[in-house]
Amino acid sequence: MVSSIIKKEILNNVFSLRFSVTFILLLIVIPVMFFILGDDYVRRVDEYSLRQSELENYLKNYAHFNRIGGVLYPSQPPIPMHALVRGLSAEVNMEEFHNDPLPIMFPLIDLTLIITVFLGLAALLFSYDSVAGEKEDGTLKLILSNRISRSKVILGKVVGGVITLLIPFIASLLLGMLFILAHPRISWSGEDWGALGLIVFGAVLYISLFYCLGLFISSRHHTSSSSIMTALFVWVLFVLVIPNLSPYAASLVVKTPSNIKIAREVDRLTDTERDQLGIRLSNERRQEMIKKYSFLAEALTEEERDRRIAEDPEYKQAYTELRQEIQQAWDEANQIQSKKVEDLRRDLELKESAQTRLSRSLSMISPLSNLVYLVTDLSSTGMKNREYFDRLRTAWYSSFGEYRERKIDEMRRQNPAVDTWNTPVDMSDRPAFLYREEPLADRFKNTLVYFMILVVFNLVFFTAAFLSFVRYDVR
Amino acid sequence: MTWNIAKKEIVSNLLSYKFFIVILLMVILVFTSFFIMHRDFKERLSDYHLIKPGPEDPIAVNPPNPLSIFVKGLDEAMARSYEISRIGIDVKAGKQSGNIIFSYFSAPDFMYLTRVILSLVALLFGFDQISREREKGTLKLMLSNPVSRAKVLIGKWIGNFLCLAVPFIFVTLIGFAFMNLDPGVSFESFGLVRFGLILLVSLIYISLFLSLGMLISAFSKRTAASIVILLFIWAIVVFIIPNLGTLVARQIVDVPSVRALSEKRDQIWTREVLLGIQDRNWSDHYNRISQENNMLEEDYRNKFNRLIRFSKNINRISPVASYIYAVSDIAGTGIGEEGSLKREVIRYKNQIFPDVIEQKENFPNFSYRYRSLSQVFTRGTLFDTAWLLFFNILFFALSYLGMVRYDVR
Repeated sequence: MVSSIIKKEILNNVFSLRFSVTFILLLIVIPVMFFILGDDYVRRVDEYSLRQSELENYLKNYAHFNRIGGVLYPSQPPIPMHALVRGLSAEVNMEEFHNDPLPIMFPLIDLTLIITVFLGLAALLFSYDSVAGEKEDGTLKLILSNRISRSKVILGKVVGGVITLLIPFIASLLLGMLFILAHPRISWSGEDWGALGLIVFGAVLYISLFYCLGLFISSRHHTSSSSIMTALFVWVLFVLVIPNLSPYAASLVVKTPSNIKIAREVDRLTDTERDQLGIRLSNERRQEMIKKYSFLAEALTEEERDRRIAEDPEYKQAYTELRQEIQQAWDEANQIQSKKVEDLRRDLELKESAQTRLSRSLSMISPLSNLVYLVTDLSSTGMKNREYFDRLRTAWYSSFGEYRERKIDEMRRQNPAVDTWNTPVDMSDRPAFLYREEPLADRFKNTLVYFMILVVFNLVFFTAAFLSFVRYDVR
Repeated sequence: MTWNIAKKEIVSNLLSYKFFIVILLMVILVFTSFFIMHRDFKERLSDYHLIKPGPEDPIAVNPPNPLSIFVKGLDEAMARSYEISRIGIDVKAGKQSGNIIFSYFSAPDFMYLTRVILSLVALLFGFDQISREREKGTLKLMLSNPVSRAKVLIGKWIGNFLCLAVPFIFVTLIGFAFMNLDPGVSFESFGLVRFGLILLVSLIYISLFLSLGMLISAFSKRTAASIVILLFIWAIVVFIIPNLGTLVARQIVDVPSVRALSEKRDQIWTREVLLGIQDRNWSDHYNRISQENNMLEEDYRNKFNRLIRFSKNINRISPVASYIYAVSDIAGTGIGEEGSLKREVIRYKNQIFPDVIEQKENFPNFSYRYRSLSQVFTRGTLFDTAWLLFFNILFFALSYLGMVRYDVR
């Protein structure tokens, strides 16, 4: 009996206007988007290789260790998944004078947006009248006059509805995939296809949870016109409001010190305050030394002092000790101040990560954010990838540091008087920075929590729909 | 008679469930958004007071714009500090927060609410105007009176527009009045006039969606059909076209990425410093750096301006993009204003650059005057507003066409 309800739902939907509109729309939008994003990906690949070759040219003639950090640093290459998902890959570059304001005004569009906005909306449009509308048509009475339990009816409705929604989505996605397969310059690895599979699974969960939500709302209303209003109201809150408000709301609760203030404070600590401390400490040491060797108190000009060092071995001994003591005093001052800076930075980092965690948790009230994090993390375009990239970068920096020391030693051996910092060096044998995406298994592990939450949403909305439908007055 | 119909619309709206939901949404969202964006602005203002340059520093900083509470736009980028040094313009304080979630979702400011949510609300007011009355049979009754169909349509439009606009204006003005209670945020006449204009353009924008809703309603027999079509049109116009248009423009106008430009600049700088250490001819090298950078940057700016012009025109297929351009430029946080600020900073740099190289002190102060409203309007905002009006009239005229031929049975 459930199967005939499912069949009826599917047929009913397939012949409806909303189905054909959704189908046509997705069939146009998804392939067009793939086409444009795919081309953009290729353009970015070209640009990236151009940048790398310009860097190589530069390094051939002008590589020197003093300012190498300013030109040679790890940068994220475009990944094939960019033909589908953009995530946080937009380059706004606020640190540069010539930043790019367009992504701020017009955020990039990708598969995530299609799923979260279009498919969620479509799911509500398919389900808002499936109870209240059938009641208005009078067909609900007829169905229930058969020997069938209400739980089977609602189950059949959910399964049938989700299947009809998946038809246009999967069909248009396949069409888009054909483009990616046929494109000579976009080659996806097995892991990419695996990630896409998981993304589609997440999308199915997202669609079905909105379908259940629509059913729930529909079975709380007796006219479809009021049901659509509530459905859209809830949709607006979930999709358009909660995610956008969450970081701002979190910053109300967990306050972070302003970055500019911290930068100022760091400057002060390592500059004026360090000097004051250093001078104080070295004066103390000097006084102690003078107690030990009273002749050090004499005020001498530099020439007199040098003469005396040459003539008087006792003075020389005392003077070397004094210099060592003063050096130690400055080292100590540097150490104390850098400890303070470190504490300050750690405190900032702790507070910022606390705020990030809170904003993320707040935004996860909305299914949209869960799906966004899920898709971006699976496609290595999200925050997990940033962390992963940071780890790769740190590893590269340490291996480059070792390389530098080795190279400097080599230079010194050849010519002890060489200025090791400002002499051009051949760095073609440097350790290369290789970006490889995080293994899919790890990415999947990171996104498990989002999958779980989407499943929980499904269960909650389905149960709510079920409970309301069981008590629904069909008259 | 028109007024009678408008009155009937108002009364029937006031009693409806839809109206209740819409008012609830408006009140919650407008107040929350004002509150949150106000706090965000205050934080940026206190940052500004920290980085405010001394009277003779070669630093250009523009204070945050109070209108960014309503239209955040590019204000964060515009309130950075530009330090003029021997190697050019050094940008400080670019990064505001380490909280990455900010970069996932756009700021929930007044412009966002109007652009996305109120446009949807306006559609909901328009989508069932004609088809619903046909379904209920009241359209027949109405037209059996001696009233022309045009008058019915105009009356409906006015009635629904008032139901939408009056609470909207009311809520917004209350929120705006609250903002004025804070002595730290002063709008002065600059802000007041501009805020009024933003509200006006927003009303035109909202009424455009009302007309669109009535248009689709006048061409469909059933409300269920018109809502489906409308919601999809809405999603395409609001989310897809403006964002895809920018990408399409990038395919056509070849602009190097910002990253490429900055790498190039770093390479020039480190190269010249290395050469300088060898020959000690520093002023030559500093001049070389600035010359090459200037050439590079000018080339980039030209290409980038072309990209912006081009993407602007593509995006304008969707009236939503026109709304974004118009409102953000009126508020002084748009792409046009940002470009003008950058031009001023460059002019300031060129003015003091010889002195900076010679390491003199006592530099003139930098202060940025926002473009006047007449400049803003002649540089595109007038067109965008007219474009919105044009869509409005077009949709209304088409819906009249549909209404005249509508089969009321």
